[in-house]
Order: sequence, then structure tokens, then C-alpha cells
Amino acid sequence: MCLAIPGLICEILSDKRVMVDITGVRREADTSLLEEPLEIGDYVLVHTGFIISKLDSEQAKEDLKLWDEILNP
Amino acid sequence: MSGPTSKYRDKEIVDALIRKIKQITNEIEDKVRIMHVCGTHEHDLVKAGLRSLLPKEIDLIAGPGCPVCVSSAQDVDEILWVADNHNVIITTFGDMMRVPGSKESLYQAQGRGVDVHIVYGVSDAIKLAEQNPEREVIFFSVGFETTSCVTAAEVIRTKQPNFSIYSSHKLVPPAMELLVQRDDLEFQGFLAPGHVSTIIGAQPYDFIAKDYGFPVSVAGFEPVDILLGIYSLLKQIKENNPHVSNDYKRYVKYEGNVAAVKALNEAYVVSDARWRGLGTWPNTGHEISEKYSHIDAKKKYNIPELNSIDLQGGCICDEILIGKSKPHQCKLFNKTCRPDYPIGACMVSHEGTCNVAATYEEIIWEE
Ligand code: SF4
Repeated sequence: MCLAIPGLICEILSDKRVMVDITGVRREADTSLLEEPLEIGDYVLVHTGFIISKLDSEQAKEDLKLWDEILNP
Repeated sequence: MSGPTSKYRDKEIVDALIRKIKQITNEIEDKVRIMHVCGTHEHDLVKAGLRSLLPKEIDLIAGPGCPVCVSSAQDVDEILWVADNHNVIITTFGDMMRVPGSKESLYQAQGRGVDVHIVYGVSDAIKLAEQNPEREVIFFSVGFETTSCVTAAEVIRTKQPNFSIYSSHKLVPPAMELLVQRDDLEFQGFLAPGHVSTIIGAQPYDFIAKDYGFPVSVAGFEPVDILLGIYSLLKQIKENNPHVSNDYKRYVKYEGNVAAVKALNEAYVVSDARWRGLGTWPNTGHEISEKYSHIDAKKKYNIPELNSIDLQGGCICDEILIGKSKPHQCKLFNKTCRPDYPIGACMVSHEGTCNVAATYEEIIWEE
């Protein structure tokens, strides 16, 4: 139920709507629940037609460093 | 979507994390029970076979994290009462169709002519109301904060007059507090639900760590995410340093999704909620706020008091939902109760603990 699916923004349709590529399938999604601006190429989480979160790509890079610290102290 | 997710499934990193987990488990020298509160965690960790990779001293138990499973029979009964006494179309998520009411599920009621439609989300229910202006349409909305904020967005903006919402929404952090307070449950840490946390953030769990000295990790859903969450809890236990560790930072901010939290606070008020087989838990639900009472189905229809039954014929969903029992301990499991013929709510959704165990034939250790 709380499943949120990762997707890639591939088109900005309007102020409140974008097209998201979810594993090759394009779906429209509503952006009303997100304050941050979205751009083509952003990774997002989609839940029942709404975008609920945007991937922090800097943090994703940090994750790699963190693993390195845990695994090779 | 190979891009950012593939490395979170990397076998070498998984193996290395398992080694780290084994090492720290040896150092703790005691059994550790960790509870997650998320149906997606249960599904994804079983699908990835993670329980069998963990040292046997670690017991990963499933809490009440599947919103379909925790919805009470009374909610189903009330929706059906409205359907039987008013000219309405019922809409809901596919998963809700086979959730047992006291006498029947929505699916069974559909068989005798009740007008029930499965929708992808609240927005489709509103579209159906637009297409059927002469009928009343009710959206039976269940879910934790992840789902309820989407419903909230529509509560706030819809002007559709023949549309209403029956809210069965529930809240995760206050339910976690009640679980920590129970003296019949013994566990040492919480894996907090990643997608709920994209909405509410990591901050609402702070009091669990501060007031109860209880370790919390906000974890994502890929194998590396889940293992990192477990490792972080073990580290907190070993170092006796309980806090909230945000281990899903790439999607979860400390303060959460500000716009979504604003929508939640605008659309709803906190209320008591009925959890299947577990009674009414104070302050764990969301009802539609006074400002939007015109689309609150519970106010629109005068629903009488119903005497509902949550557990049928030996179902122990009440114990499954709080991790007190495991699916194979139910005598109906995989016998009369199966994914294609669920008797209890935990067998309905593909995120329900019994459904997951039956689907993946998971081997669950005896105590
Ligand atoms: S196996 Fe079926 S009847 Fe038994 S606890 Fe699970 S859902 Fe209930």
C-alpha cells in the first residue's frame, strides 16, 4: 500500500503535472505534494499518481562513501 | 531504472554487510528482536531472502505495517451499510476488495450486486463522480501517511458535490509508541517505514528514542537499505546509544515533505482508530477535519452502531499484526486460509505477513 515506485521525470506537462518514466512505461503524475522544483532527469518516488519525494542525488553519492566507511574502516 | 537503484542490490555489498552484521551480533552476545512496521519491508525483505542470510540470533518481526491488514471489519461493514441503504458507488483500492467484513467482503458484496469499483487512487474516484453526476460516489480510503497525504491533496482541492471520503487512515509514530509500551512484546529496535518517512520525515520518531531509549532506523527497501538499517540498529544496541538514524537519506529529509505534511494537517484531525483484532488505539487515526466535513462520508450518512467481528474461525491476525505469532503458528495458514482464499486480513494484500509467507514459502525459525 505504501509502495512508492521510483521513476524518472521525462517531460514537464504543466505547473502541476509531469510525465514519469517508470521502468519504461510513461505515466502522468501530479506534483501538488512537492514544494521542490522538478526538472527533466530527476529521479522521484511516485505513489498512487502523486510524486511524494525527489531523489537527493548528492546524498546518493554520499551513500557510497558511507558504505566504504562501514565496510573498510 | 537501473541507474540509482542497482548499487543498492549489489551482491558484494550485501555479502560484506552480512559479515559486518554477524560480527556485531557476536559482540552483542544476546538475541536481538527487531520490529519493522511496514508491509513493503516485509514483502521486499522476504522476496530478497534476507531473513535466511541473517544470523539466527536476530529475529526480524513484522509489526502492524500493512494498512489493508489492520483495517477493521467495522470499516468494511459500515461502507457496506451505506451501500445497502443509499444509492452509492463504492470505490477503493484493489487490495481492499477481499478484506473480510463481519459477514462479507466488498468482493462478495459485489457478487450480490453492490456497485463497487476498484480505482488506482482517489483522483480516479473523483473522475468517476464527474462521470456519474446522478450518483453519489464514496472513496473508501485506507493507508498510512504515504497514502493519506494523497487523499488529503484531493480533500483540499475537490469541489465535486456528489463525492465523499470514508477515512480509515492510520498514523505510524503513535502506533509505534503503543507497541513500545506493551509489556507483552519484547523487542529492541524499530526499522521505521521508509515511504511513510518520505512524508513525515525522521523527526516524528525522535520521542521514541528519547523518551523510551529505543533505537530507530529509517530504512529504505533495497537489500542494502534494509541491511544497513539492521546494522545501524545493532550498532545502537551494542553501543547503548539509542537514537533515530536516518538510513534512507536519499529520499527522506529530517523534516519530511513539508507540502505533504501541510496537506495532512489541513485535511485531517487526529482521532482514535480501530485496528483489526486489537481494539481502538487512541490518537492513531486521521478523520477529515471540520472544514471539509461536507466530503466526510461518516458525516454525510448516518451510520448506525454495528456489532462487528474482526477475527473469524480461528484467525490470529491480532497476534500476527504485532509480531506475537508467526503465520505458521496459525492452524489455518496455507490450509483453509490461502492467498487465493483468504480468511483473515493478513492473507489478503501482497504485503500482508501471512500472504508474503505463503507466497514465498518463507521458512520462519521456531523460537
Ligand atoms: S493464516 Fe489466515 S487465518 Fe491465519 S492468521 Fe493469517 S490471515 Fe488469519
